[in-house]
Amino acid sequence: MKQHRFRIILVVISLLGAITAFAQSGSELRFCLHSEPKTFNPLLAEDDSSETIRYLTGGVLIRVDRLTQNAIPELATAWKISNGGRTIIFKLRDGVRFSDTTPFSAEDVGYTVRQLMDPALHSPTADSFRSGEGAVEIQVLSRNRVAITFPAPIAGLDKLFDQVGIMSAKSPQKEMAVLGPYHVAEYKAGSYVLLQRNPNYWKHDGSGKQLPYIESIKLDIQQNRDTEILRLLRGELDFINSLDAEYFDKILSQDSSMAHDAGVSLDSEQMWFNQVASSPLPDYKKEWFRSTNFRRAISEAINRDDLARIVFHGHARPAVGPVSIANKFWFNSKLQPHPFDPTSALQRLSQDGFQLRDGVLRDRQGHGVEFSLITNSGNKYRERMATMIQQDLAGIGIKLNIVTLDFPSLIERITRSFNYEACLLGLVNNDLDPDSQMNIWLSSAENHQWNPNQKSPATNWEAEIDKLMRAQASTLDSRKRKTYFDQVQEIAWEQEPFIYLVNRNALSAVSPSVHNAHPVVLRPQVYWNIDQLVLGNEVARKH
Amino acid sequence: MFRLGKHVARILLTVLLGGILGATLLRVAPGFGVDEEELDSRLNDQSIRALRQEQQTDTNVITFYFRYLGRMLHGDLGISRTLRRPVSELLRERLPETAKSVTLSLALGWALSFALVILALMSRSWSVDLFGSVISGFLLCLPAAVLSVLFVMSRAPARLVLALIVFPNVYRYVRNLLLRSASQPHVLMAQAKGLGNFRIMLWHILWPAAPQLLALGGVSVSLALTAAIPVEALCDLPGIGQLAWKAALGRDLYLLVNLTMVVTVITLLANSASNLLGEAFRPSAA
Repeated sequence: MKQHRFRIILVVISLLGAITAFAQSGSELRFCLHSEPKTFNPLLAEDDSSETIRYLTGGVLIRVDRLTQNAIPELATAWKISNGGRTIIFKLRDGVRFSDTTPFSAEDVGYTVRQLMDPALHSPTADSFRSGEGAVEIQVLSRNRVAITFPAPIAGLDKLFDQVGIMSAKSPQKEMAVLGPYHVAEYKAGSYVLLQRNPNYWKHDGSGKQLPYIESIKLDIQQNRDTEILRLLRGELDFINSLDAEYFDKILSQDSSMAHDAGVSLDSEQMWFNQVASSPLPDYKKEWFRSTNFRRAISEAINRDDLARIVFHGHARPAVGPVSIANKFWFNSKLQPHPFDPTSALQRLSQDGFQLRDGVLRDRQGHGVEFSLITNSGNKYRERMATMIQQDLAGIGIKLNIVTLDFPSLIERITRSFNYEACLLGLVNNDLDPDSQMNIWLSSAENHQWNPNQKSPATNWEAEIDKLMRAQASTLDSRKRKTYFDQVQEIAWEQEPFIYLVNRNALSAVSPSVHNAHPVVLRPQVYWNIDQLVLGNEVARKH
Repeated sequence: MFRLGKHVARILLTVLLGGILGATLLRVAPGFGVDEEELDSRLNDQSIRALRQEQQTDTNVITFYFRYLGRMLHGDLGISRTLRRPVSELLRERLPETAKSVTLSLALGWALSFALVILALMSRSWSVDLFGSVISGFLLCLPAAVLSVLFVMSRAPARLVLALIVFPNVYRYVRNLLLRSASQPHVLMAQAKGLGNFRIMLWHILWPAAPQLLALGGVSVSLALTAAIPVEALCDLPGIGQLAWKAALGRDLYLLVNLTMVVTVITLLANSASNLLGEAFRPSAA
């Protein structure tokens, strides 16, 4: 009787094992989205989750190679920019079908661009193409040739198409019919998005096998980063695309083969002073913040090396200016990070009449130098950076008060009420081209954060930046553009309207079961070559 | 019938007031009407202005509320600004998840409480009573967030966190009520006459305490619902608690007002039902 029971238990265990093995053999890649995707429409994607889905499902005409940072052909086999940078003509790949078998043609490109340029569609992707007033002309020249003419020249036009997922003009499935490696198969709100391999994906590997190799991708919607790390370490996830320094070190200490530091990224952390003339600040403080010497002195009093070493555990680098060293072409290599030099900072301050008396820095009228720095609450790195800056500034007699606010309150202060003195935030840079920073550097722009919406430039150096930014945007000669933008970087370095602090490294974690993963600094760091990724149990099948 | 009508009218009035209070609180909260997207450097000035214009439509709370109520009568609960989806759709997806969690937590919390109290009463063992009191006291001291994190780290089913929040609150009241009921003279008399333990428990201890237990039932529903907000947010459970958390962070007026109303309706319905049932029990208990 006992032996009989033992046999039954053995059979049950074997059955369970077989079921588990079967479930695992489905070649499913798993990683996390940190919020609900707001849309599956590739033209409306602006949040991280929607952009992830757009990258995995959307077929594009041109892709920016995340390794070389050059434009490479995808659905367009060739393209030509003419008419002084206003027109781009695409020659399209033949025999391509959408995921629902609808054939792909020039009409779909025309339809997508028309939808994208709809004046009512206020999406960042669309705005990148809006260079001037007027309508966009689309000419379908043949089944596989299309010409798009913009009202004004657009610098770096071809690379902008990396963000445009082509939609079908005819498919009844609308935006759910895609040309990318995967298509959305299932979506459970708040839980997961399941992507399945696109059976009509046009790419094949060297041996003629259709890509992608991985059957499906399960994107779990998981806000809690601690849980995400735990799940990765338990083997329930295959990678984490972007990690904080602390989590990175935690993974490094547990399994060093998983942790990948791709080096310095495009993202920066910076602080700036409120220079808005109408802000409710006392006049003497407005005068401090408008002074170049004051800003330069603050910059020199901050130890950037310490910020990188202590706050980011060494996974960051002192920042130089608006362009990170990771941006190979556009970075101005003549510039160096501002050195930590409190003596020089005090000398600069003395030029403006500031004096250090009894450990307190005072201006000409005797006001003690004290200001508050706002940053977003819950971001432990910014909170720690603020604390270190507080200590550094105390060294030259400045009292810094740190105020953390939730994001909506902070945005209200820096964009509406201007009721703040200094702000510490980061810039997430998705685009290599300086044209994407037009709305930051033009003095008339809403995002010219230290003093937005100026009717005419408040300072000579801002007028100079306006001129240079417009000049770089109106020429197609990349050398000339580089020369203009180098000058912008030099002025920004000299005047420091933004005090650039550090550029964070691109950190990620990839399970050893994922093959062909080569994390890079550009987004999406880990899955940029999604159609080439292979899971451990697929390697045998691939070869 | 009149009593039922009075209850319905009270619920309706409270829900309407709750809705407008929720809307007012959100309207005066710092950061109302701003959007993180505004900081996207790729957006041009026209788009930022359009985005701001869009946010300005609901600045007057009274206008917003009457327009909202008018649309609600036609079955339109508005569009969530943060998730860009109809609120009715979001509620339809998320309510069953929270209903599952709350029902499970109530069932488990009550069952555990009853089991421990009845065991202590029937066995007349001080050690069982002490065990129940220590466990419930310990759980009462643990914040919901800590419990959630512990469950996430130990891979335990997150829905059980709610049960552990309901249990200690229910246990204390159930214990006190049943102990008081058990010490009544007629119970002692029944025990002296040799009546069976089960019969004494059912008819002489539980039955007289039924109105108070039912009232506690109503309160425990609102307790579980309130606890669902941090627990779902921390454990990534896709219910209305998680939705409420996101709505509050994103200053999502339509979503938050609707959620306030839903939670108010459920709480009031549970309390009213327990009151009405309690009143029905009273005459026979007397």
